[in-house]
Amino acid sequence: MSVEDAGRPPRLAHLLIRGRLPAELADAVSGDLEEEYRRRRAGGTGRARSDLWFWGQAVTLRAGSLRRASARLRAMTPTWERNRPRRAGHDQTTRSWMPMRPDDVKYAVRRLVRAPGFTLVAVLSLALGIGANTAMFSLVNAVLLRDLPVRAPEQLVEVYTSDEDGYPYATSSYPDFADLRGRDEVFRDVMGTRTFVSRLDQGERPQVVFGEAVSWNYFSGLGVPMALGRSFLEEEDRTAGTHPVTVLGYRTWQRDFGGDPSILGGSVRLDGRPYTVVGVAPESFTGSMPVLVTSLYVPTMQVEAIGGFEGQTSRRSSRSMFLKARLGPGVTVDQANAWLAAFSAALAEQYPDSNEGRLMTAIPIGDVALHPLVDRVLKPVAALLLVVVGLVLVIACANLASFLLARAEDRRKEIAVRLALGAGRASLIRQLLVETVMLALLGGAVGILLADWTLGLLMSFKPPIPIPVDFDVSLDRTVLLFTAGVSLAAGIAFGLAPALQATRPDIAPTLKDEGTGGGRPRRWTLRRGLVVTQVALSFVLLIGAGLFVRSLQKAQRIDPGFDIGPAALVWPFAQISGYDTDEAVAGLYRELEERLLAHPAIERVGVADRFPLGAAVQTSGYVLPGIPADSRDGDYDLDNAHVSPGYFDAMGVPILSGRTFTDDDRAGERVIIVSEAFVRRFYPGEDVVGSTIEDGSGQPLRIVGVARDTRVRTLGESPRPFVYELVGQGGMFGAEFVVRGKGTGAELLEVTRSVLDEVDPDLVLMEAKTMNEHLALMLFPPRMAAMLLSVFGGLALVLAAIGIYGVVSHAVAKRTRELGIRMSLGASARDVVRMAVGGGMRLVGVGAVVGILLAATVSWSISRFLYGIGTTDLATFAGIPVLLTLVALLAAWVPARRASAVDPVRALRAE
Amino acid sequence: MGRDGYLGDLEQMLLLAALRLGDDAYGTRIMEELRSAVGRRVSRGSVYVTLDRMEEKGWIESSMSGPRPERGGRPRRVVRVTAEGVAELRKSREALLTLWDGLEDSLETP
Repeated sequence: MSVEDAGRPPRLAHLLIRGRLPAELADAVSGDLEEEYRRRRAGGTGRARSDLWFWGQAVTLRAGSLRRASARLRAMTPTWERNRPRRAGHDQTTRSWMPMRPDDVKYAVRRLVRAPGFTLVAVLSLALGIGANTAMFSLVNAVLLRDLPVRAPEQLVEVYTSDEDGYPYATSSYPDFADLRGRDEVFRDVMGTRTFVSRLDQGERPQVVFGEAVSWNYFSGLGVPMALGRSFLEEEDRTAGTHPVTVLGYRTWQRDFGGDPSILGGSVRLDGRPYTVVGVAPESFTGSMPVLVTSLYVPTMQVEAIGGFEGQTSRRSSRSMFLKARLGPGVTVDQANAWLAAFSAALAEQYPDSNEGRLMTAIPIGDVALHPLVDRVLKPVAALLLVVVGLVLVIACANLASFLLARAEDRRKEIAVRLALGAGRASLIRQLLVETVMLALLGGAVGILLADWTLGLLMSFKPPIPIPVDFDVSLDRTVLLFTAGVSLAAGIAFGLAPALQATRPDIAPTLKDEGTGGGRPRRWTLRRGLVVTQVALSFVLLIGAGLFVRSLQKAQRIDPGFDIGPAALVWPFAQISGYDTDEAVAGLYRELEERLLAHPAIERVGVADRFPLGAAVQTSGYVLPGIPADSRDGDYDLDNAHVSPGYFDAMGVPILSGRTFTDDDRAGERVIIVSEAFVRRFYPGEDVVGSTIEDGSGQPLRIVGVARDTRVRTLGESPRPFVYELVGQGGMFGAEFVVRGKGTGAELLEVTRSVLDEVDPDLVLMEAKTMNEHLALMLFPPRMAAMLLSVFGGLALVLAAIGIYGVVSHAVAKRTRELGIRMSLGASARDVVRMAVGGGMRLVGVGAVVGILLAATVSWSISRFLYGIGTTDLATFAGIPVLLTLVALLAAWVPARRASAVDPVRALRAE
Repeated sequence: MGRDGYLGDLEQMLLLAALRLGDDAYGTRIMEELRSAVGRRVSRGSVYVTLDRMEEKGWIESSMSGPRPERGGRPRRVVRVTAEGVAELRKSREALLTLWDGLEDSLETP
């Protein structure tokens, strides 16, 4: 790197130097600095270090000798020039408003150090507020706001195909994509990607990785340059399985291959097949799914070879591609959509079987965070969380403002004297502001540390999903800017009001000692207002927290309809472990089941491709005699699972009538077991055992038993009609074992693992968890909500208590003389304490009323996130006020007690 | 600045460094020269202040170079030691040499 293109120093620091220097000198000085800065950078010093150095130089120059130099230079101007009359006050005030005069800084530091208690509480209040905000903002930023790091993202659209139910934002098929890619009427480029999970044999144990199968033009179309090597070529994406090449994700390259550039041209083993590494994606591009980090990319046509994807690229009815397209020059999204409608209609005409009624739609990429369907749920949640942390910050800032007001109150006299002696109001305000801004910056700095810690904590609450993922959530630059902005704005906004109030130029009454002792203090309206606000907002947060906690309690008490006692759930991913055919997979499962049952600690074993309350939703079409179909295909869409004969026993789901499956059922006619709700819904009162329904393709299915209802998708749902088919009739993709026996879930899991390991040490376990961990998935959202809101509610309560404490304690200190008079006239210590506490509690009362009204409104808007309780849950709405009142009483009583210790004689003498 | 008419230590060093650097004598280079030749680190502020003061006294003159890319398009303020500056240096040197005279031996053994 040469000096010329070594990058520029921070501009703000330049401005700092220029401040008050004559232009010529400023140029020479900042030129010197920039030259040295560039030389450092060119010499290999990092940007951050160089910037820091530059700032250090700028600040010391500004603070120290430069001031003398410029004074000297000014002194060199001719006398007549210096003495020329200036516009009144103009020059003086401009200069006195210059930020961060060293004297002010020194003064502010001295004041903050002298009142360590105040400083600590103020900084902590702000740090808690800012920390919570930064953490939440980082999370929301990572999930919803972060743009894909691609070229000209404003030209990019996502393209979806509608599904059979008319939902517009479903995935598209590969042949449809291929047809679309061949057209250039509205799109310059169409890129496709599909996620897949595969086994990477690297390091000691084979690991399951999350990959994307991308079209060859994926990187070039998005405008993502490779960090190393090249992206895919057209011929590598033309014929299935002929060009096994891969582009590694940056993190995979760093973590599993030590960032070694010689990996280019080397090979990695995916599902046991060698793939040649042709490139490494850049660090900033972590794949097209936010939050998930893609480990590696493979051309779409080369994924055919990876288990579970046979025929995906040739079947028009197999839809698993996410499409992105770059609009042609001057083409609008509306024009693209009009063209897509015509294109879809043409496809439907040509391929009526697969494309009848399917419509392709384009949405600007900026309007989609994860996926339109997911966004609908995520965005309100994110908004709710941001509002919650925003309220915490407001409360924290109110605390700071309240303290600053109190301090300003205490300094009235000092300030009045200084004003009387001719100090400028502007310079006094500036001093107070410098102090506030320093507090805010300190709070911001500590807040960032807190946020970092909080994020770490949040990340440890990873959602229990089977795909191994790297979460990409970090405090990035946007977040830092956001925090810096918030803390500065907070400092200035809340520092200015007290500063203005404190320097109001009514010097006489203050000098005359009014307001120091007698009478009711008059100028507290702002502080009182702040306390009322704090109490009201704490109420809202606490009631929100209470509702979520109660909802969680209710959820945990719901009977899911199956045995939630200790069990191990294990998913051996046979298809990527070298078991290529259905027969091989079925053989493996048979052997595993036998070997498991042979273990002394294991009593019951079941197999199912879907467990109740899991993440996956699985349905199939059935034709029910006498029941009108609910879909266009002429069948009825029902939740189902494929289970083994041992499943019902192992899962603890009783068969109410008829029988369970037997091994003999695998041969003869196809049989099913249905749920109670199935009978209630479709054939109430009838004995369905022995009767027959059909599957979507018209095959008869005889009902041999009725099983008790279980919760299927969510805990809160009402029982769903459910169909159990026998596993192994038509593939066993995703079939998992449920293992019961002696010991805890963890012990069972250990035993199960060891048995599987004996059978096949290379078997990749896609998922291995205890029953508790399985259930945690369903409880994850309410648990997170309850935890976050409780933490933030608790935080708000602590902050509000500090605020109340501050107000009462200050009131007591201010009214020392009045209290002394009262006590010398016969008031008892109890009277005095009651009076002081009463003053504080009046504010709490007002805040509580406002808070309850607000909370009632808010709880209505969060009702969709709650289950099992009403939005006016009595326990919450009665319990929280009691809690808050108790805390408030304590916060008021501690300082009020001091009032009773007032010695009347000393109090009366007090100034 | 030498209350009794002699150069101060920093003044002397700056003037000497400027002489050694010739046409290349400007803020940053002068500081570097001091650092590399005698290992002396001086604060940037005191360098500028001292240069200003010496210019005021007429010991140096300064001129602005054209804008330079490596400085973000800013000029250099190149200083040149004037005849008076050289005279001051000589005066100080002579005074010091006079005082040093005959002291070499006593400094040999501490």
